[in-house]
Amino acid sequence: METQQMTTLAGVLDKKMNRQLKQYLDICARCAICKDACHQYVATQDFKYLPARRAELIRQIYKKYFTKTGEFVPALYEARDPDENLLDELYESAYACTGCRRCMYYCPFSIDTAWILSVAKAILIAAGKGNEMLGQLADAALFKSDNFEMFKDVIVDGFKDIELQVKELTGDPDAEIPVDKQGADILYVALAGAHSILPAAVIFHEAKASWTLSYFEAANYGYFFGDAVKARQIADRFMDEAKRLGVKEVVITECGHAYRVAEIFHEAWSGEKHSFKVRHILEVIDEYITDGRITVRPDAITEPVTYHDPCQVGRNGGIFEQPRNIVCALASDFRDMTPNREQQWCCGGGGGLVAISEMDEFRLKSGTIKAEQIKATGARIIASPCENCRLQMEGLNDSMELGIEVKAIMDLVLEAMPLAGSSAKVTPTD
Amino acid sequence: MSEEMKADLDLDLKGLLCPMPMVKVSQNIASVPVGGTIRAVATDPGSMADIPAWAKSTGNEVISAEKVDGEFVFMVKRLK
Amino acid sequence: METFLYITAVYGVYLGIGVFVIGMAWRTYQWATTPKSPVRLGMFPKPKTGAARVLKMLKDTLIAPQSARIEPLMWAFAFAFHVAALGAFVGHGRLIHEFTPLVNWLGEDGMATFAAWSGGTAGILMLAAVVFWIARRTFGPFKQLSVPEDYLLLALLFGVIIMGDHMRFVGTIHAATYREWFQSLLVFKPEIPDDILRSTTGWSLGAHMLFTDLFLIYFPFSKLVHAIGAFSANLVRSE
Ligand code: HEM
Ligand code: SF4
Ligand code: SF4
Repeated sequence: METQQMTTLAGVLDKKMNRQLKQYLDICARCAICKDACHQYVATQDFKYLPARRAELIRQIYKKYFTKTGEFVPALYEARDPDENLLDELYESAYACTGCRRCMYYCPFSIDTAWILSVAKAILIAAGKGNEMLGQLADAALFKSDNFEMFKDVIVDGFKDIELQVKELTGDPDAEIPVDKQGADILYVALAGAHSILPAAVIFHEAKASWTLSYFEAANYGYFFGDAVKARQIADRFMDEAKRLGVKEVVITECGHAYRVAEIFHEAWSGEKHSFKVRHILEVIDEYITDGRITVRPDAITEPVTYHDPCQVGRNGGIFEQPRNIVCALASDFRDMTPNREQQWCCGGGGGLVAISEMDEFRLKSGTIKAEQIKATGARIIASPCENCRLQMEGLNDSMELGIEVKAIMDLVLEAMPLAGSSAKVTPTD
Repeated sequence: MSEEMKADLDLDLKGLLCPMPMVKVSQNIASVPVGGTIRAVATDPGSMADIPAWAKSTGNEVISAEKVDGEFVFMVKRLK
Repeated sequence: METFLYITAVYGVYLGIGVFVIGMAWRTYQWATTPKSPVRLGMFPKPKTGAARVLKMLKDTLIAPQSARIEPLMWAFAFAFHVAALGAFVGHGRLIHEFTPLVNWLGEDGMATFAAWSGGTAGILMLAAVVFWIARRTFGPFKQLSVPEDYLLLALLFGVIIMGDHMRFVGTIHAATYREWFQSLLVFKPEIPDDILRSTTGWSLGAHMLFTDLFLIYFPFSKLVHAIGAFSANLVRSE
């Protein structure tokens, strides 16, 4: 690789530099306390997945290009150029990381390895080595908003189909899925799939909420890809909609990373304070149940149920209790996993990994610990909000024959609600 | 029309939730030759926007996208 | 020996302390002037108030309870090392001024016994931790993760500690004599007492100081800047 190009790549690190990153790169003691925090390292014992090692690759560039000692005595730090070899290693370490930040939880200095790896991805993208699939998915999402007129009718048609099911379920012929409704209280941002729209629509209807559905999905492959600009643009699609409609709050569907992007990242990225609140749908549902705006049958589920905290919802999003409240309100035998909440093991499905087929085998292997945890509870149903987590756990269910049912929390709520309409169980996926 | 055309690859994407149908099409596009086609059947209505958007942004072509008995049938042609 | 001691125990000390202080100040200045990321990197659950945040930061930094849970043995050695190092650092304060209240309380003999015990314990603990770390870094993933810097630091530390322990356990020179030397440094009229020059322990002091000087000089350019960075990085955890 040309020296010129390597300097350019190192320049990406400089552009992304900030105080936290600099400290992380300066202070890591290479004590490897983080090694047993990472499900991928624990399951594979493969050095390239050791959290500090992943970050070390960036540190090698940093030492070489941005510290005098590393420039003059590179051997002392194993400082390196961002050449092909390093980039290949970086690719494997960075795109495998699910961003669960369990390593950060245990590190004595709270070093955010996932954050360092977001810079790694920026360098890879600059080198033309970003993950192709994640990049395509990000581009497709942006294409949809850039050429919105082309897709609007198809999108609305899809909503109409779901609306029919809402009418049927609620027994209310006037029930609707409002779209583009000026002055609604809530802008609900779902995923492209019906499964995240239908139960929410029924719940909003029953709670008599003033809401409207976003044209765009909350999922953000720009974030997984590691392109902060695209990630922001993808989130802008519904944030701009929220501004335009003048809503009081944006409610994000169960999906974990989408919530974190909306609640934690977006304001910082856009440099603008939101004029509305951002909440997670489960916060809203928990409130509806507590306030009696919707009711659920307390014994709707008698089989043992457990709950998986998605990393981006729990440790990184701060929502621990609401989903448990909801599950406990409708299930008689709730069993938490050990460990749970902020210490929860990552299931292995985050970081966009479920979309990368080359990683399928590795991904399922990295879920071994999660599978053992689930087994230990003896639960028959595992409830979890995040789409990626559920896909992963379904994979684990098949590959490790766990004999469990993987459920979204909203689906459980829907099943537990006494509805006036057809009592036939409707699962949008059938 | 999609019924008559013989695709190089048939993908059953029924039951998959968005964006997985789009992901699967994208993952499989390399396995048909340039100019070849994939016939994909999905059940998630979101795929009606997702798959065409993916095709446009990656420079491929959706020859047809139809709703047949509650299923969504796509003919996707690999252009490059 | 005189030349050796003047290099290590006089000029080296000035150089070491100078580089250390300026280096750490420079490093801190660099951090302070690099703009913060606008993205909040904290994790949950987060303390609600500013005071609670600071308390949590201090707990995470000084006790590191999460690290203790995931690798208790490593934590135990690291904790022992840092506490002992702090103890040894404070103990070296005797070189500047005798801890008079302590002497009044314990008596001359009592002080000597106390110093022997506390200094000795600290020296042994530090040695044990460094040996443990060197051993840990010689196999498996720890070896793969280690870079020469890690061994350099541990080697320097090993030198500092082993020679310090040698002076403590084998050497025959008393604290008062060392104090004479150190105070002469403080007033910039460096002088090495004859007692030291005449004793073989002088060589131990020279070696102890050689390693210490090198350690201090390298400190600000090494991962040991975590001595300051740990506090701010742990504060980020709850922002
Ligand atoms: C107060 C918060 C601090 C924390 C949480 C902390 C934590 C750690 C950890 C986890 C190691 C890893 C050891 C290894 O595996 O090699 C370490 C090493 C070390 N720390 Fe600290 N430290 C702190 C403060 C300090 C201070 C104030 C000093 C200053 C003298 C210091 C000096 C050292 C030394 C000399 C080592 C051994 C270096 C090595 O392993 O190469 N630390 N520390
Ligand atoms: S636990 Fe923290 S300081 Fe230790 S090696 Fe891992 S990232 Fe570095
Ligand atoms: S963020 Fe999670 S997946 Fe990534 S290195 Fe840390 S523990 Fe491993």
